[in-house]
Amino acid sequence: MKKITTTLVAASLMIGLAACGSGNNGGNASNAAASGSAGSTGSAGSSASATAKTDDKPVTVRVAWWGGQSRHDYTLKVIDMYEKLHPNVTIEPEYAAFDDYWKKLAPQAAANQLPDVIQMDISYLNQYAGRNQLADLTPYTESGKLDVSSVAEPTLAGGKIDGKLYAMNAGSNALTMMVDPAMLKSLGIEEPAADKGWTWDEFAALGDKAKAEGKLLFSDLRHDVFFPFYLRGQGQLMYAADGTKLGYDDDKFFIDYYTKYREWYNKGYTMSLDKLSQSKGTPEEDLVALGTALSSNQWSNQFIGISTAAKRELDLLPVPGWDSNKALFLKPSMYFTVANSSKVKDAAIDFINYFINDVEANKVILGERGVPVSSKVQEAIRPNLTPEQTKVFDYVAWAEKNSSEMNPPNPVGAVEVDALLKAEVEKILYKQVTVEKGAAEFREKANAILAKNK
Amino acid sequence: MTKFRENNHLVGYLFTAPFIIGFLIFTMFPMLASLYYSFTDYNLFEAPNWVGFDNYKTMFSGDDQYWKSVRVTFTYVLASVPLRLAFALAVAMLLNKAIGGIGLYRSAYYLPSLIGGSVAVSIMWTQVFGDKGLLNSFLGLLGIHTTTSWIGSPGTAIWTLIALSVWQFGSSMLIFLAGLKSIPASLHEAANVDGAGAGRRFFKITLPMLSPIILFNLIMQTISAFMTFTPAYVISRGEGGPLDSTLLYSLYLYKRAFQFTQMGYASAMAWVMLLTVGVIALILFQTSKYWVHYESKGES
Repeated sequence: MKKITTTLVAASLMIGLAACGSGNNGGNASNAAASGSAGSTGSAGSSASATAKTDDKPVTVRVAWWGGQSRHDYTLKVIDMYEKLHPNVTIEPEYAAFDDYWKKLAPQAAANQLPDVIQMDISYLNQYAGRNQLADLTPYTESGKLDVSSVAEPTLAGGKIDGKLYAMNAGSNALTMMVDPAMLKSLGIEEPAADKGWTWDEFAALGDKAKAEGKLLFSDLRHDVFFPFYLRGQGQLMYAADGTKLGYDDDKFFIDYYTKYREWYNKGYTMSLDKLSQSKGTPEEDLVALGTALSSNQWSNQFIGISTAAKRELDLLPVPGWDSNKALFLKPSMYFTVANSSKVKDAAIDFINYFINDVEANKVILGERGVPVSSKVQEAIRPNLTPEQTKVFDYVAWAEKNSSEMNPPNPVGAVEVDALLKAEVEKILYKQVTVEKGAAEFREKANAILAKNK
Repeated sequence: MTKFRENNHLVGYLFTAPFIIGFLIFTMFPMLASLYYSFTDYNLFEAPNWVGFDNYKTMFSGDDQYWKSVRVTFTYVLASVPLRLAFALAVAMLLNKAIGGIGLYRSAYYLPSLIGGSVAVSIMWTQVFGDKGLLNSFLGLLGIHTTTSWIGSPGTAIWTLIALSVWQFGSSMLIFLAGLKSIPASLHEAANVDGAGAGRRFFKITLPMLSPIILFNLIMQTISAFMTFTPAYVISRGEGGPLDSTLLYSLYLYKRAFQFTQMGYASAMAWVMLLTVGVIALILFQTSKYWVHYESKGES
């Protein structure tokens, strides 16, 4: 009996081991297959290419970005196109969702292993550029390797720090209010003129009407976006020019804005915090797409994803301003930057140049990263746009004429200040502190964080 | 003879070398590095500057969020560990009965622990306790209609984490089960003959005989509860919200380290955590002489 047991155990062990072994083999085989296919696309490209201008030494360029699935898909396609034109270049894509992206990038910076091309956000630009992680792109724009001849100067300016171009604008964005015209009609609400939009007060006045029909005014207004936007409307800045403190001294602005915000929240015009904390912010969860809110106040490039999710016609309106002093501004939806530690800067620049200036590439990108910054590309791809994309291009073109220059990029520590603002507002909305106390607390703590930049 | 012995030592070291080398490189060195960083302003980007005890001072006097996270963590540990152990013991006693198909039951009850710490389960938890979740649907059936998100409300969020922890009682249960099996049946039989009821037998025989195992489970579970990270991270989507009510210590440490890139501060937090957990484990050991019963020492 004992013998049989031993044999059984031994046999099962061996089967187990064999299974492991074959599993590994399988893994290797599939890896080999993958690299084989990558190699073959490369060689197929080489026979087709005649336009490669860089010398033919093989280079590997690591390109990193954040985004959703659709962005990953088309970016990989663009990379494929680029590799076909440049058979000596192998591009290693590294992509993730926004939050994870930054948590991965920071340790890479610490290990001196940043990707060569890094998609950059305005909140982090100073953190990376100011700490000497990013290459100055000015020499490349001067030599024409990064062609900015059809990019307007204000569009470039958003990537400059102390006169040096650290980041190439990947596309223009403007704040907008997305609405569902059919829903407004069914509620008996008249849509405002497309070049005027509502004021916040006019819009808030619709709250009770919407509530009676079980609709919200909007889910929320992102604090790190809309509070600075409100401040702009008041002629104030969120951050002082040297980044060592907040740009405003008077708590009045905070109190005014969040008294109003709290009123909307308490009246039930916006999404309750417990539900908001569980929403992932994907286009599929957007309340206009779901048909449960009157508006979604977002960056314009989000319109494509949201109207795709909604599967019906949506409209773009000017985002309500606080007054008419052109608080609206164009913002780079994101940037492309090159790591200072990169050993293949030329190749990295060439890829960015392709992304920004190549018409064929932009026929695939189609403004998903914001309206193309090159006027030539904009013109060339217009016929290829869907009606939704055309709306975004038109809106950004309108916004460009009705806006003022954007604020300088956020200082180091802004990520922490943004988190603090969100936490402080939650305390106010949960009635743990008064608006006045929250305003003072926020100002003191934020100034303490920013004081480290002195 | 002496030489042979020395050789023998060498062989011993050779065999343990993989562990020793791994320990030195992957545990000892990072720990010492983090001790050094805890006295610096290391931010991942720039070379660290020595700041003395500044990080520790900020932690203890200038960071109310830190104390909030300490409170949350203690609430979590003090609630989840006893509940989890009690639950594990109760289930272990049920599974100690000789009934048909007991092996199947044991596997079934152990299952949550196998998958418990994973991201998938945490995501499932958000479905159960969300505003349109299973729990609210169930309450709806009982006539209690609510759309509160248990995970999104400051008062209840931490309790959903505690419930998740209690649900993963499997490993403690298994150890309890082994302990229960090692209690000689003759003790229960004798007590039975003497007329002791089930409750009396539990308190006078089972618990004392099991106390060394309770101590072991208590210490292991306390340590792991202090280190809990994944469920809080997944359920609060990396925020520790609402209102920092699920901001467990390790989550706050992670935020400081990787969201705000304050490695120096995070390292200091890690060392305070290490010392605190060490002291608590020591205290638990010290108290054990009052309540842990070792058979070999004779009667207590």
